[in-house]
Parts: sequence; structure tokens; C-alpha cells
Amino acid sequence: MDVDLPYRVVSVADLSGHDDRAWHVAWNPAKPLLATCSADKSVRIYAYTPDPSPNFVLHTSIPTGHTKTVRGIAWSPSGHTLATASFDANIGIWQREDQDDAGEAVGGEWECVTILEGHETECKSVAWSPTGTFLASCSRDKTVWVWEAQPDADFECMGVLMEHTQDVKCVAWHPREEILASASYDDSIKLYLDDPSEDWFCFTTLTGHASTVWSLAWAPNGQYLASASDDRTVRIWKRITEHEWKCVLVLEEHGRTVYSVTWGVGKPGKTDSGSESLGWLASTGGDGRINVWAFEESPEATNKRPPKSRLIARLENAHGVNDVNSIAWCPRKGYEDLIATVGDDGVAKVWKVASV
Amino acid sequence: MTFSGALTLTDLNDYITPSQACIKPVQQSNAPQNDRAPGDAATVIQIDASGAYYEVGRSADSNGGSKKLQTAEISLNDCLACSGCITSAESVLITLQSHTEVLSVLAQNPSPGAPGHRVPVLSIAPQSLASLAAALPAPIPVARMLRRVRAFARRTLGFAHVFDTTFAREIALREHAREFFERKEGAPGAPLPMLASACPGWVCYAEKTHGEMLPFIAATKSPQQVMGTLVKEWLAAHYWDRRPDEIYHVAVMPCYDKKLEASRSDFYNDHYATRDVDCVITTGELLLLAQEHGVDLSLPVPGEDDAPIPISSTTPTLPDLLTPPGSSSGSYLHSLILAVARASQRPLTLESKAVRGNADYVEHTLRDASSGDTVFRGATCYGFRNLQNVVRRVGRAAGVQVGRGAAGRLAGGLRSSATREVMACPGGCVGGGGQLRAPERHSKTSADADGTPLWNTRAWTREVDRAYWGGPARPGPGSGDLSNKGNNKASCSPTLELSSGTESDDRVEALVARVFLDLSAPTGPQQEQEVGTGAGSGPGPESRALDEARRRGLFRTEYRAVESEVVGLGVKW
Repeated sequence: MDVDLPYRVVSVADLSGHDDRAWHVAWNPAKPLLATCSADKSVRIYAYTPDPSPNFVLHTSIPTGHTKTVRGIAWSPSGHTLATASFDANIGIWQREDQDDAGEAVGGEWECVTILEGHETECKSVAWSPTGTFLASCSRDKTVWVWEAQPDADFECMGVLMEHTQDVKCVAWHPREEILASASYDDSIKLYLDDPSEDWFCFTTLTGHASTVWSLAWAPNGQYLASASDDRTVRIWKRITEHEWKCVLVLEEHGRTVYSVTWGVGKPGKTDSGSESLGWLASTGGDGRINVWAFEESPEATNKRPPKSRLIARLENAHGVNDVNSIAWCPRKGYEDLIATVGDDGVAKVWKVASV
Repeated sequence: MTFSGALTLTDLNDYITPSQACIKPVQQSNAPQNDRAPGDAATVIQIDASGAYYEVGRSADSNGGSKKLQTAEISLNDCLACSGCITSAESVLITLQSHTEVLSVLAQNPSPGAPGHRVPVLSIAPQSLASLAAALPAPIPVARMLRRVRAFARRTLGFAHVFDTTFAREIALREHAREFFERKEGAPGAPLPMLASACPGWVCYAEKTHGEMLPFIAATKSPQQVMGTLVKEWLAAHYWDRRPDEIYHVAVMPCYDKKLEASRSDFYNDHYATRDVDCVITTGELLLLAQEHGVDLSLPVPGEDDAPIPISSTTPTLPDLLTPPGSSSGSYLHSLILAVARASQRPLTLESKAVRGNADYVEHTLRDASSGDTVFRGATCYGFRNLQNVVRRVGRAAGVQVGRGAAGRLAGGLRSSATREVMACPGGCVGGGGQLRAPERHSKTSADADGTPLWNTRAWTREVDRAYWGGPARPGPGSGDLSNKGNNKASCSPTLELSSGTESDDRVEALVARVFLDLSAPTGPQQEQEVGTGAGSGPGPESRALDEARRRGLFRTEYRAVESEVVGLGVKW
């Protein structure tokens, strides 16, 4: 660990249980729940007690019924619904069996309320729009699908976007607007909008990565997008005009493929110079390293200036010798300094980014 | 993706390269084998630098020589029977069904009267005519474009007959309505809702990935294949005195997947070893043919504005451009709406609504005018996205979709009963993958107010749609004055009149009856006689059952689910 960094990544919990490599980790945005998925086709959900020393216990393990690896998971903004993306080409939609009159899940088993079929081959990622209206999925079949959630767990297909020329690895929604981003093995990132009178369409393609783009994370304020790549870099893209995004920064702090990137609001507090905090970015990958950056932007920053970035914490060998596949900041208020990771060792780990 | 909607020849890159299950480089022959230790192969296969396979003996009794193995070719039928890759099938058919193939067949065709001569016949879809007409610098009515294509195909290419496919479509629409009423009365194995079958992209997709949809898809043949039957079995046998294999039938279609359709084994005549449609070329390929022969379709041809030959059941020819009101994808749904309205004892009203303002998903409801009860529901659903929703809704309602928990409990949606006109391409058939690209003058409109680039293909598809309707709605007797000189005003689909038919409907009806009578009768030229409506249904029940079986044989087909065994290449991430 670099001694000159102001923060440390401190272990909070080690959660083993998956029988095969763990692929993705997702915090429930509304409830104290953490979900992980694995090549063992199961989803494990952990509950945790309040800070300052949260204690994680297994809440349930869902066998899912997917016939192949569960590669991606996503909680709806309400926290009621979980979506699973599987190599069996299907998307599963999960809710708790018992709901009260308001539709609030109150208990019971997690059950599959519907399956979204359509992808031809392995699904890689799934994501809910900020209002929970839309669900996006992507696949090795090179397509990105947009679904609209309707009452009674029904979904309508709103668009099938055939823009990428290769496997699509990740989909991610803008935190406030209905803008969808996708990242692909074709080294590009594509951004999409809904044309109300027509269909969803790709309005821009971001190029610059020299290899597969594995993961995407929007800044909490929606003015930046981070991408993680096999070219060992994390790129920061800035919104220049409404429909124009430019790469303003390339972060090179990984020795191998960067598999996952996450952008949280960071620790509340003042920045050095009265600049606006853009939050904390964490990345991880094949080198087993966790990097944490703090971003800020001075009020007078011009459009094309990169934000000010500072590496504030680093941890080596987060999962021993294993690749780390996914990293995520906890989005819940009061827990913003918690991150979760999962790796090829099948273990989920929770960390706190704390001052030295 | 399976569809040719956005697919053109230049886009063909096999992203799932011929899959593992598809590679069968060595033709097996069952030669007698010598006894040897189990597992001990007598020969090994070697591959030389050029990729050729050799079988090399290695046991003591072989002379050590090597034998070049024959390469097995993957035929279009192999591809159709496999769900592994899509574009490989497309690339195979490029060589089998292309405009160069048409030229080479025509060039090698012995002269008329010589043995082996095949009568070349061209059938063109009205959507192809609309695309050709709209793409001209000064667009013309489709009726005029038909005359120009006819002139080019006859004089320059040497086709003996040039038809449009609308009369065949008329027969398909009637058969489609007949099938709907059969299903409504509970025909076994033929559930409702019925889904239209004219789109080969949809049929092919359903066969490969949604076998559970197949019982819902109408068994009625597409207009292209009814046209094949009309040309090879009706006109050839009864009026031209030719066998089916003495005809070379080329279809011009707005769609690449029509090539796959023509290749289906159902449409192959085993007895005469010939296909009902021998070769399908796209609208774009027809234009290429014209350009290669220096023919400019923007130039007028003599008689291009003459009135059409009146529809008659006494002359063995097909009427031009019967365009029933409804959709530019063939009016499959609207013809059912009309049939239901005409069969109703009580007056009905029609209500149409574009769901979310989406022109590619329009719901139509027929209600009893007085009680307001719903009598019939239907929807036109175009494009891959809307097709997905059809699959979801119909699957859910029929309880054939996988899904556990609440998904099962929620079976039976409100909108599930609707009959659907399903087309794989956005905008329907006028926007087919084989159509002409938007001309230059169209590319300037391709950005919205704030400079966001938008696809201009939609606007172009709408223009082709207007061209489709721009011609006379129903030419023929009664509207013989084709007063369309320079009159290419943008018109839309003629209003649907729920009332009963017109005089020209009766003549079409009589001609349809004539076709059926001829086809039910022993082969041979028929006497010129006027045939009344409904002829052929006079005799007793046995003969009627025979008629029914014959009709099904002529105008219906069937579908087969293709088992997917190919997916699962062991993807690790």
C-alpha cells in the first residue's frame, strides 16, 4: 500500500459461498441488501446492519434456474426488483413473493416473475434507468435491448439496437436523464436516446480505447462518464454540449485489464479549494488492485478542461492472486464510503475507504 | 440478427462465423473397413497449404498413398435446417439466387421451340415497383413503372411474360381470410390469434427461435409462392401448354429473405424437379440489371399510360396492380377486417389507434355499432422490436412462454387475442432490405433541429409508402380511365369501406373461381367460358371435401421448428 495516500481501503467483510467465480456485485439502493452473482448460476443476497460497523449476513441464496452463468445483476431504483443477465441468453426479473397492498415487498422467497427472451446468445449486463421505467440488456449477439417495465411484471420491447460490431459487455444509464451507454469488445462506447416518434437510436460513438471496453460508470452529476478497458486504462469522458462527449482524461494506474469501474458521491466534506466535488471513482481488474480517485472541478472550469483528479487510496491483491471482476460503491446515504468487490475466487468482499 | 431489414450485401460479415456444427468439410462414404484394434484409426486426415483435405493411410496394409477428399458443399437447405448462423445462409444464396444467375440462365436458354427451352417469366412485387418509382428523380405512378419494367424485361432481357404479384396476393388474402374463419370455428391444431405469414423473415425467425409461435402463423402461402403456383401450375399447364419445368420463373421482391422462402422444400416440385419460383432477385438487383443493360427507367415507354386490359375470367392473363386498401405490406389485416365486416349481420364500426403514436404498431378494433361490443381485434406490427412484443404477448396468452411464479399466474393479457399482420422490417414491406436506398435528395434531411443525426431511412420508407398508394387504388373496369397523367399527388391508403364490394371485386372473384376450377380439373387447355362466382362448389359433399383438400394443397404450406444445438461454444466471459 502506498503510504503517501490519504485514505486506506480497509476490509469490512469477506463473504464466501459461491461455488464458482463471482461475476458481479450490486448494492440495493433502498434497503440494506447486497447481491452477488456467479458462474454457479446462483445469486446470493446479503443483509447488513447499520454503520459504523456494518455486519453482513446471508439473507438468501437464489438458485435462479438460469441454465448458465449469471453474468450481471441490477437492482431497480425502488429496490423491489432484481434483474439477472445470464449466459443462457435470458434476462430474469425477480421480486419477493409476498407484497402488501401498495406492492411493497414484505417477505417471502425471491421468485422469478418474468423472463425476458430475445437475445440470441450470452447476456452480459443489465441496467435500470434512473426512474425504473426502462431496463437495458446487452449480449454477445452484439445487440442492446431496451425494455419498458409495465404493470404486472410485464415488459415491452422498446428497441433493439444493432450498433456494435462485437460482443457488448456493459450497459449503464445516465443518473438523471434517459441516456443509455453501452461498451463493447469493438473498443467503442455508444450513447443512445429515445426519439419519441420513432425508436431508440445511437447519437454518438466514443472511440479512444485501444481494446475491449469492459465497464462504464456515470458521474453522480451526470456530466462525466468513466470507462474501464482491456487497454489497462480508465478514460474519463466529459459532456461538452448536450449531445457531445469528449475524452478529457486517461488514468493509467493498472498493470492489467481494468474490468470494472464505479463512481460514487464519495465522503461528504469540503474540498481543498472550494471546488465542487465530483465524487470518488474506484476501479479494479486483472491485476487484483483497487484504485480510488477523488475528482473535483473548480467553478470556473471551462468546458474542455479535465476535472482535477487525485489518487487517494490503493489496495493490492484485493482477492489474493485472483482477478477482481466487479466493484461497486454503496449508493445509500451514510454508507457512501463502502465498496464491494467480487472475484474469480468466488468471494464477495466489502471494504471501507477510510482516512489514514 | 435474422432479418434483412438493415441487411444489404455489403454488410455481410459473419460475426458468428460458420459455426462448429456447420463445418462438414469431408464427405463420408461407407467403405468396407478392415478389422483392427479398437480405437486404432487406419488413416489420418491431413490438410495441405491450400486447405484441401487428404486421407492418408498409416496402417501396414495401406500403401501409404494419400487420397484427396471431396469437399462437401453446404447447400442452402443445410443452412435452412440449422440455427447456427444466419449470414452464412445469406452468402450461400447470393450465388444461388442473384441477378447474374438470371442472366446466365437466360443466356444459356435454348431458343423457343428448341429442346430444353424454358419460358422465362418475371413476377414483380408492388412494393418493388413503388421503390423503383419513388427513387426516380421525378417519381411516377407504380402503374407506369410496371409498364416500364415490363418493356425492359421483355425487350431487353427476353422475358415472355411479366406480371405483378397482386393477383396472387388477392388469392392469398382470400385464403388467409378463409383460414381465419376456420380457426375461429375451432379447426384442430390451428389456434387463434392468427399471425400473418407473408413475411419470410418473421417465419424464418419463428422457426429458428420461437417454435412455440408456429401454430399461430397462418398456413396460407405468401403471394410470391401463390404466384409460383399460378405461373407453373395454372398458366403453364392450362394456357401455355408447358410443364412446370419448362418455365423459368423469376420473382422481384423487396426482401432478401424471399430467396430463402423460394428455396423451401414445400415449394419444390419433386415430380418435375423444379421450384415454383426458380430465382428471386431484389428490387436493387433488378435496377442493377437495368443499369447494366443501359436501360433508364426514368424514360417513358410507348403505351405506358394505356388503360389496363380489363379483368376477365375468359382471358388467361393476370390483372395488373390490384391494391386492396389497408397497408402497403399487403393489407393482410385489413382484408380480414373487411371479411369480418361483410360476414356480420349487424353494422360495425372500425377504430384504429397507433400505440404510443408508433406507426409500426397500430391496433384496429371492430365494434358492434349499436352495442359497442368488440367483434374483432387486430394489429399491424412491423419491425423486429414490435415482433418481439407479439411473441411475448401471444406466448404469454397461450401459456407457452417459459416463466415461473407470477408470470404463470398472469397469463392471458387483454391484447392477446388480436390477430396480427407481422412484418420483420420497420415500416413493413415497403422498407424491405432489398429495396433501393434513399436517393441523394433524401440525405439532406438527416439531422433534427439541434443537429442530432437521425436515420433518414424512415422518411424514405414513408415516401415509398406514398408511391405504393400513389397509383390508382383499383384499376380495372369502371376505373379504366387511368387519369394519372402527371398526377402523382401523395395519397395515402384509400379509406376502408366496410360496405360490400364493387363490380371489379366481382370480376376478380370470377377470375379466382376460374383459377380454382382449372386447377381442380384435369390438366389441359380449357375452353373459353365465363365462369360465375362460386362455381365449383355445386356438387355434393364428397367432391367438396376433395375441393377443399386440393385448395389446401395449392395455397397452404407448413412450418417446422429448427432445433438449436449450436449455441454454447463455451464462452468464458
